[in-house]
Amino acid sequence: MQMMKKIGRFLSSMQFAVILLVILAATCSAGSFIPQGQSYEWYAAQYSERTAALIRWLYLDDAFHSWWFVLISAFLCLNLLLCNLLRFPQLVRRCRREADPAQFFGGLAADGIADPGVFFAAMHFSGPKPAVTREGRERLFARRNLAGLWGAWTCHLGILLLIAGFSLGQLTKKEYTVYGVPGQTRQIGDTAFFLTIDDFTVGLREDDTVSQYTAEITVTEDPERSGRSEARRESAEISVNHPASLFGMKYYQNSTGWAAKVHITQNGQDLQDVVLCAGEYVPVENKPELVILLNAFYPDYVKDEGGMPKTASGQLRNPAYLYTVYYQGSVLGMNVLLQEEELTIDDYVVTFSEPQNYTLIQIKKDSFISLALAGGLLTMLGLFLAFYLLPAKACAEKAEDGSWRVTAEGSKGGAIFREQFLEAVRKAGGTAGVADRAEETEPTEKTGEAEETESTKKTVEAEVAESTKKTVRPK
Amino acid sequence: MNEQMLHIENTLFTVVMILYFAAMIFYFLFIAARKEGLARLATCLQAVGWVLHTCALVSRGIGAGRLPMTNQYEFATSFAWGICLVSLVFILRFSFPVLGAFASPVMFVIIGYAAMQSREVHELMPALRSNWLGFHVSTAIIAYGSFGVSFVLSVIFLLRDRMTGRGFLDRHIPDRGKLDIISYRSIALGLLFLTFTIVTGAIWAERAWGSYWSWDPKETWSLVTWIIYSVYLHLRIRKGTEGRAAAVFAVIGFICVLFTYIGVNTFLPGIHSYA
Ligand code: HEM
Repeated sequence: MQMMKKIGRFLSSMQFAVILLVILAATCSAGSFIPQGQSYEWYAAQYSERTAALIRWLYLDDAFHSWWFVLISAFLCLNLLLCNLLRFPQLVRRCRREADPAQFFGGLAADGIADPGVFFAAMHFSGPKPAVTREGRERLFARRNLAGLWGAWTCHLGILLLIAGFSLGQLTKKEYTVYGVPGQTRQIGDTAFFLTIDDFTVGLREDDTVSQYTAEITVTEDPERSGRSEARRESAEISVNHPASLFGMKYYQNSTGWAAKVHITQNGQDLQDVVLCAGEYVPVENKPELVILLNAFYPDYVKDEGGMPKTASGQLRNPAYLYTVYYQGSVLGMNVLLQEEELTIDDYVVTFSEPQNYTLIQIKKDSFISLALAGGLLTMLGLFLAFYLLPAKACAEKAEDGSWRVTAEGSKGGAIFREQFLEAVRKAGGTAGVADRAEETEPTEKTGEAEETESTKKTVEAEVAESTKKTVRPK
Repeated sequence: MNEQMLHIENTLFTVVMILYFAAMIFYFLFIAARKEGLARLATCLQAVGWVLHTCALVSRGIGAGRLPMTNQYEFATSFAWGICLVSLVFILRFSFPVLGAFASPVMFVIIGYAAMQSREVHELMPALRSNWLGFHVSTAIIAYGSFGVSFVLSVIFLLRDRMTGRGFLDRHIPDRGKLDIISYRSIALGLLFLTFTIVTGAIWAERAWGSYWSWDPKETWSLVTWIIYSVYLHLRIRKGTEGRAAAVFAVIGFICVLFTYIGVNTFLPGIHSYA
């Protein structure tokens, strides 16, 4: 039982969080330095046999999906979840306590204030309210930024949602790519949807650089596969940075490349006309063991110093096609063919023409993207609350001699809050000594403190210890 | 493109470099000669430098017809601008001119790095033509500026005991408690803005590439930086204000910032390699 409690405490502790975070940071940096997804031989050649073995042993060839990266992330989630669950009731109690003007609070104290109004104004508290303590003493009370107490909690919840949203997305998302030239229709993966590319334009600036790629697409649902009575269809225009949603999936204009028409004749008779994107091949219709591959296209063909083909610009000035011919799986020949030039293979003649841009469209469905986004936004909100809504409170009580005694507490304000306090006391005419912690601590009010996490307790104790050492005096 | 504006930017940039250099020298003289007046002069020079730097960035923006934050030169000069702004705010807010003596060399090195980069204006590739770019990069500039300042503060924190004990600096360098809280304020600003940067970057990446997080080296390193600073936060809570560990993490954090910014482009190419 004792053991379980200890383990539970460790799993929810900030110490464990720090350890996990450091391991995560180390893994991430290793994953960015080591090229991912290569073979053992590749690593052995690049580094050494030993390093390659180590990389494989630690799964650093796929660091971001390795079982232990996932495990560490899962522990981080558990850690955050436990921490937030434990802290929730504490925070609720703390908020109640902080908001109650009858409760004592400590921090900084000073005597001999003539006008508490000046003090509150100098501390930037608006409208101190009268209140009564349990003992029936009257006091003026002001506080601000109670919401700031929830900053860390909100931030942690945000991170939890972010990790959850990302992981669920990774596990469930669907991804397809479709490419082609205007007029072509292709099935999207194995779904019931077919994508037709209606149009594709490459927007060029005066200086020949690309300003935008725009595709017009239509997605049609095949009634036979979907089981619906009619074929539904939706259209959209997509361009880089402007994806569109059709049938619950998102379409992105991803990239582009060159395509060309391949025309094959046999003994002077037209045999075949197909459009090939660079990298695609086509078997000859009546002789499938003969295959034509369009390796690459050069719009402005020149040879470099080594005699290798390259393109001098993006303009269609001197189109040329690099092709490979296969016969029964082995290479028959590879060469560059200019526009209008003919390639003769026995009684077949092959020509390339009508170079045009094809578009590559990425299609995605990630149902957890909004969860991740909500997590990110909550994280930002939490950090803002934690850093910029610093909770603070102050009160003033009349002493027997008619002057006022003021106390103030600014969690997280630290030295700056103290300076502000001293300055306010000086402005308000306080001359007496200032103690960092009021002496009249009532035991009942300390109960809440005992529930704080180990860490906060330590800080508070440290502050008290520090403050009892010295008594500061306003100048 | 407006050549005249770019020409103005060029001239302003040179003036700004000279001003930052002069500010640095006067901050040094302030410490060497122990004269407060020199610190005020240095801060004035820095402030004037910052105003002209702002003008330079605006003229480049007009000259290029877009936000001036998209290549190594533009980001470097903006980075120096960010450090200058955040350090000015902290110097004035906390009456802490010694901070200037430590921040101005960092500023000068970064603007010097900018001066070595190509200043040619290139048209943007389609993926970069997004309103999210503005949010993404401007938040990054504030984040990096704040981290630069926190780095300087942590160095002062770590060196404090060696520098003080000589009267003059004792008066001008706050005690550890205050140094810690000033450093915490600058890291808080930086971490908040780094989170903005990462979130806006993710939203933009989703629109441009169809994937909001793909473990690209720049993304990964911004995450590493983010994690390091969150470790700083937690160490600081645990160890109280006297802890050196948190300050050490703040220094490591800034090394990560520099690596994310310069190292990744140099050693680890990815989709971010243009900026
Ligand atoms: C993974 C497990 C984590 C655990 C168990 C954890 C735990 C804690 C605890 C117990 C506190 C003290 C809260 C307080 O005193 O109010 C805290 C503060 C905080 N944590 Fe975490 N944390 C974790 C991760 C993170 C991460 C990744 C971040 C990212 C930035 C973060 C940001 C913060 C912030 C901003 C604070 C408030 C600090 C301040 O205001 O000075 N935490 N955390």
